[in-house]
Amino acid sequence: MIPISYNLRSLKVRKTTTLATAGGIGLVVFVFAAVLMLSEGIKKTLASSGRPDVAIIIRKGSDAELSSAVDTPSVGLILAGKEVARRKDGKSDGVGELAVVLLLDKLGTDGVSNAALRGVPEDVYDFRPEVKLVDGRKAKPGSDECVIGRAIRGRFKGLDLGQSFELRKNRPLKVVGVFESGGSAFESEIWADVDSVRSAFGREGIVSSVRARLTDASQLAAFKASIESNRQLGLEVQRESEYYEKQSEGTSLFITTLGTIVAFFFAIGAMIGAMITMYSAVANRKREIGTLRALGFGKGAIMTSFLLESLFLALIGGALGAAGSLAMGFVEFSMVNFQSWSEMVFRFEPTPQIIIGALLFATAMGFLGGLFPAVRAARMTLIKALKE
Amino acid sequence: MTLVGLAARNALRNRFRTTLTIVGVAVAIIAFVLLRTVITSWNIAAEYSAKDRIATRHKLSFVISLPRRYVDNIREVPGVEKATWMNWFGGKDAKNPDNFFANFAVDAKTFLDVYDEVQLPPADKAHWLEDRQGAIVGSSLAKQLGIKVGDKFTLQGTIFPGDWVFNIDGIYVSSRKSFDQSSFMFHWDYLNQALPERRRDQVGWVATRVSDGGRGADVSAAIDKIFDQYDTQTVTMSERALNLSFLGMFSAILKAIDIVSLIILLILMMILANTIAMGVRERTSEYGALRALGFSPGHIRFFIIGESTTVGLIAGLVGVAIAWPLVNKGISAVIEENMGGMFPYFRIEPITIVLALLLAVALGALAGLVPALQAGKLTVVNALRRIE
Repeated sequence: MIPISYNLRSLKVRKTTTLATAGGIGLVVFVFAAVLMLSEGIKKTLASSGRPDVAIIIRKGSDAELSSAVDTPSVGLILAGKEVARRKDGKSDGVGELAVVLLLDKLGTDGVSNAALRGVPEDVYDFRPEVKLVDGRKAKPGSDECVIGRAIRGRFKGLDLGQSFELRKNRPLKVVGVFESGGSAFESEIWADVDSVRSAFGREGIVSSVRARLTDASQLAAFKASIESNRQLGLEVQRESEYYEKQSEGTSLFITTLGTIVAFFFAIGAMIGAMITMYSAVANRKREIGTLRALGFGKGAIMTSFLLESLFLALIGGALGAAGSLAMGFVEFSMVNFQSWSEMVFRFEPTPQIIIGALLFATAMGFLGGLFPAVRAARMTLIKALKE
Repeated sequence: MTLVGLAARNALRNRFRTTLTIVGVAVAIIAFVLLRTVITSWNIAAEYSAKDRIATRHKLSFVISLPRRYVDNIREVPGVEKATWMNWFGGKDAKNPDNFFANFAVDAKTFLDVYDEVQLPPADKAHWLEDRQGAIVGSSLAKQLGIKVGDKFTLQGTIFPGDWVFNIDGIYVSSRKSFDQSSFMFHWDYLNQALPERRRDQVGWVATRVSDGGRGADVSAAIDKIFDQYDTQTVTMSERALNLSFLGMFSAILKAIDIVSLIILLILMMILANTIAMGVRERTSEYGALRALGFSPGHIRFFIIGESTTVGLIAGLVGVAIAWPLVNKGISAVIEENMGGMFPYFRIEPITIVLALLLAVALGALAGLVPALQAGKLTVVNALRRIE
């Protein structure tokens, strides 16, 4: 086999060409990896929003909290279930909440967008202990105060500490605190008093959903059976983690489809770039190829050597692209989640699989781009090569 | 032979490499045109919106409805010609719940007056107006769902629970681009009467035709002023402003596509720059000879940039020539049929073609710049002495 250092030195000698080709491949890999990371981030955000031992109850047939409505009397009935866990004070560990969307001016654009507004009861912090205030304070119960998620802060007009936005005429809702909840979808929400939201949205006597923590995750089937068998309630019970998984399906499919189509086109371009480089490498190094053959290296060795060179070229690009995509980890991406119709903030989530996948993708481009030039190099006869 | 001709002919020296380059750059141009078309098609709803229509919605959110009597109040405002109302129904195809399309409950007669671009065969129109349980669908949606006049169709309610069965009375086409052909409309009365007492007589929003499009803003202000003293306040804006404001929701995706289309341009330039740099390196001794014959460094630079611009232009033309039929004859049919809700008219805008060609030429020139500057700096002696 021809020493690998031969290929590495060849790449180094033609540094402009090497960089241009590797740069092209790197950009493709960057886009490819970034799309996968975003899709992963969407899944992760929504997956971290749901707990396996929590059941979410919405009206049968409604896809999401937004289109669901549950009568207040049913809330007590649901939470009285024997599968529902109790808090220290003996109260059922569950909440009835109202989820709506609010049109607000989106900063940085000329348009408006839907911000998710959740009407929460007083004991919401007992129900979601992972929610921590990072700035300001909790809202006073029954007041026109609200807290906002860390991710949505500053993305809409009026959504920052001390600012306010209108919910009812002459009764602005004031932001008094900012909370975080481990990167979950709640960080893209505004939380206000459930009664204020109810009266502003004309939803008296109604909540969108009921959430209940069960004594154990395995109790879901029994709880589901007991609620859903009561046909008069007309409700549907889902595991909260599964509910959020479903919420992310559409958006992450959209991103992945769009990204794959784009990456496919780009890959063709970058592959041709690699092909051009390798064909020229073969053409310019005829004399070298002849010498190698004269030294006793076989056709197979020549072909392997050029193919390897193309793979190295692609891997340099792949590594550059993958490294660049890691930097996207610092970027937050705010878009409308299709299922919840409201703005949600997602992060680019790098995983080892994505990085390996991106490098494999680069390798495939290098292989396909280098194959034909390598075959041409191998086919060159000794005499013809040395005659040049 | 002119200097320009000489520069252009240099591109033909290594035909194989030039062909590959043109293919690579053309693929990049196709991807660029496709991405730009996604953006322009997204904006199309705003661009083609009717100039004489305004819409009134609840001030806070799309999810809150307005009292039905607001329509009558709006009709009394000077400058208002016709008004109609509708509700977002949010139903799903009972047979295929994942297939999303827009469905509305409309007041049939006034709807067809205000949206006069929605065209039905007269017999079907008369039939629909009579048939309480009737519905009309857009031609694209009808094709996608595989339904025809006379069929029955079931919508599964999400906001309004239950299975709703409709008779398909007509397939509409839109005579202007201001209305899509992918919607499903049925009688508002049918929905209203089926609702429980407290949910009745609510409308999602009011669409109004004004007698003078130029006075739309005044009429809008007059409408909002009437309701300002009530509990339920409104926001009225032109159809164009409404559609534009929706774009805010997708601004992140549009921005991402923008960035990605910039990246494709970078890849394109790298492919080109690589080819040119290779050619220049191979011909270094020639440049020495040319210099010795009395050509100036400016001439050398001109040759190189001329060559890369020529390749860019040809590749641009090839890319555009493929992209035009590919998108307008091929992809557009698939997208309009399957994603008609999002992209009612997926066509390449002429400006995109102009932009693509200009960019191909400009980036071609730019790609030749660095090699040209380097070659221009070479002294005669050095250039002649350098061997490949």
